[in-house]
Amino acid sequence: MSPTPSLREDAARLLREGRVKLVIGYRAHAGGGQGPAVPEGACRAPLAGGGGRRPAFIEEAHRAGELVFDGACSQNLAAYLKKPEVRARMPLAIVASEAVGRSLVSLAAESQFAQGALLALAFRGERYEGVKEVEELAALAREAAPEPRRDPDIGRRLAELAAWPAQRRAEWWSARFSRCTRCYACRAACPGCYCQRCVTERNVPQWVSTAALGHGNYAWNMIRAFHQAGRCTLCGACASACPQGLPLMLLNTFLAAQAAEQFDVEAGLDPAAKPLIGTWDPEDDNSFFT
Amino acid sequence: MSQAGAPRITAFVCNWCTYAGADLAGTSRLQYAPEVRIVKLPCTGRISPLFILKAFEGGADAVLVSGCHPGDCHYTSGNYHARRRWGLLRKLLDLTGIDSRRLQFSWISAAEGQKFADLINDLTAKVREAGPFAGANPARKRLAPAPEEAQGPRRES
Amino acid sequence: MKSLSADRLQDLAAALSAAGYRVVAPVEADGVVRFAPWSPGAAIRTDAVPVNSLKDVFFPPSEAIGRWRRSGDGFDAIETRPEAPKTAALAARPCDVAALAMLDAVFNWDFRDSFYDARRAATVVAALACSEADEECFCTSVGGRPDAAPGADALLRPADGGRTLIVEPLTDQGRDLAAAASGVLQDGAAAPDAPPEVRRRFDIGRVGAWLAGNFDSPLWKELSLPCLGCAACAYACPACHCFDIQDESGPNGVVRLRNWDACGLGLFTLHASGHNPRPDQASRWRQRVMHKLAYAPERFKVAACTGCGRCGRVCPRGMSLADTAERIAAAAAPAAGPAAGVPA
Repeated sequence: MSPTPSLREDAARLLREGRVKLVIGYRAHAGGGQGPAVPEGACRAPLAGGGGRRPAFIEEAHRAGELVFDGACSQNLAAYLKKPEVRARMPLAIVASEAVGRSLVSLAAESQFAQGALLALAFRGERYEGVKEVEELAALAREAAPEPRRDPDIGRRLAELAAWPAQRRAEWWSARFSRCTRCYACRAACPGCYCQRCVTERNVPQWVSTAALGHGNYAWNMIRAFHQAGRCTLCGACASACPQGLPLMLLNTFLAAQAAEQFDVEAGLDPAAKPLIGTWDPEDDNSFFT
Repeated sequence: MSQAGAPRITAFVCNWCTYAGADLAGTSRLQYAPEVRIVKLPCTGRISPLFILKAFEGGADAVLVSGCHPGDCHYTSGNYHARRRWGLLRKLLDLTGIDSRRLQFSWISAAEGQKFADLINDLTAKVREAGPFAGANPARKRLAPAPEEAQGPRRES
Repeated sequence: MKSLSADRLQDLAAALSAAGYRVVAPVEADGVVRFAPWSPGAAIRTDAVPVNSLKDVFFPPSEAIGRWRRSGDGFDAIETRPEAPKTAALAARPCDVAALAMLDAVFNWDFRDSFYDARRAATVVAALACSEADEECFCTSVGGRPDAAPGADALLRPADGGRTLIVEPLTDQGRDLAAAASGVLQDGAAAPDAPPEVRRRFDIGRVGAWLAGNFDSPLWKELSLPCLGCAACAYACPACHCFDIQDESGPNGVVRLRNWDACGLGLFTLHASGHNPRPDQASRWRQRVMHKLAYAPERFKVAACTGCGRCGRVCPRGMSLADTAERIAAAAAPAAGPAAGVPA
């Protein structure tokens, strides 16, 4: 059964009652265009085509009928919370798939919105769960993923890489990073990349070369991934945004696994979580120091 | 490495412990390999991952990061913050081709002049054995005017 | 009539390679088709629009345009010439070729750009007429056609239901290319395939008229709301040409680089003072649309959009210039009334 009637009713009610000024969700797009995202990270169909979904920004209750939700709604709408134009319309409600929900929990843990400024119209799979506060979203997320979810295919590829000599790994990554054009679609699509001035834009001194050449591309891709360590919820938005199909999910999954293994951290499950980088423990691993 | 085959090692050290340890090695007339370039920071907590990337970008064959022992930080917890960052960063760099032969971490106190000298000697030997990093270094800037066009002694590998 | 079996494009590339051309063509790596140097054995993909455009051949994402070496306390300039090997660009789409008019104009406007010009002069472009169009294609809305490539040196036209490519030289360079590849070309008649139908999405004249009077329209805010502010559209665009100049130093000297830049990025217009004359995504998206459909036609008599549709294909939010132009055309329609009253 389509979940959209109750989603539309709730969205209209929140707007009508003045509890929110804006509902961010998905609408159908007649023209097709980019189909479901490909978070696998390796590739995407060059001629994407097919029934697309587009973000919808609804400010009037009578327009709530435009909202839809189904498996094709793969864009991570939480990324809009960094747009000043959107932040100016808080309190707002956001249609939240499981992936969006985890991003919202992670952003709440990082104090990216005030309490009460955000409600979720939450989904689990394609089942509509109703209007949720962030704490309830976190409970849903924990329920949906009691064990960390990792793409087994990515795990296999990481194991394969780990078995190679360092030089071969360097060559493999350099070949992939060489295709980066520095369009920063990865950064734009990521809800967690919310720095008002990104490190690549800090130019006194220019820490990360803006040239789309080996050194700049390596530094950029390392810093982007590292800034997400312990924060990335593995939604895949960066990888599916990358026009060049760079395997960004290999980096993200690797670091998420390291954060879990070394520090028992799983992002996006606890709105009261302390930031991994920014806190410390005297018992942290010391074995790599001489 | 330079033409003479000497590795280029960049060391980021804290002011209060490791730099003082290096100083002690010097005043104690301890001999150690001369290939290391020391960059002094107030605290290991100030050593950004960008510094490490920049050193490799500039052609370092290895990077050493060193500061006060856990519990001894002049600023109480700077080295604890740093340790957590590096626990993740070194794994990420290893995944992408900068392995642990190229990136070393240590705690050296102001009293450990001998440890500093030994560490530099060991690291230098290790890096010599691993060979020049230039060809395999994924972070390396390959932009400078070609060496044959540069005047004076060749400074790029 | 010269022609080539469609499955022998690689042989054409090999023949050109043997004749001293560097060949660039749509080739696949890691599941993505790109315009990139062809190497023997690589399949030339005519079934997909490459993710990047022909522009990259003439105007790469980053290139050195000046170099200086250290000399005592100062620097000596090293003459820096463009790398411009003799090149054959194979199977470029008509929309990519159409963008060369825009690029030629802007790189030779008040200053002749020797780097662009050298590569342009060294490159022969063999376009491929389209045999299919997807939902993002809109060349016909901006004056283009899927089956003609004015500005190309040769056109490969699908025939016999896609089994054959008719080779039509259009310039002397194109005739040279055909001569260099004569060993793989055959004589004989072939029936050209009908071009695909590319839906006309908007009336560009009507869009232009609306743009002339609606710099401050509230529609810009609404249209730009989904935009996340990256440069994916600009870098994929065959006609976008903005760049930034950066000097990078090393132990031996300094290299001056020209790197792509894009009006969608907030840093693009940020002043050193902190003031930004385009402070929000609405003003940046407006700039992008205005530049393409108002400023460029006014200044160069050519639109800076050729309807290739890449912006819609690469945008993480599926925004495309066609969607925006369609909305503007609807706003400009007399029945729709003032711009603010556009139905969603």
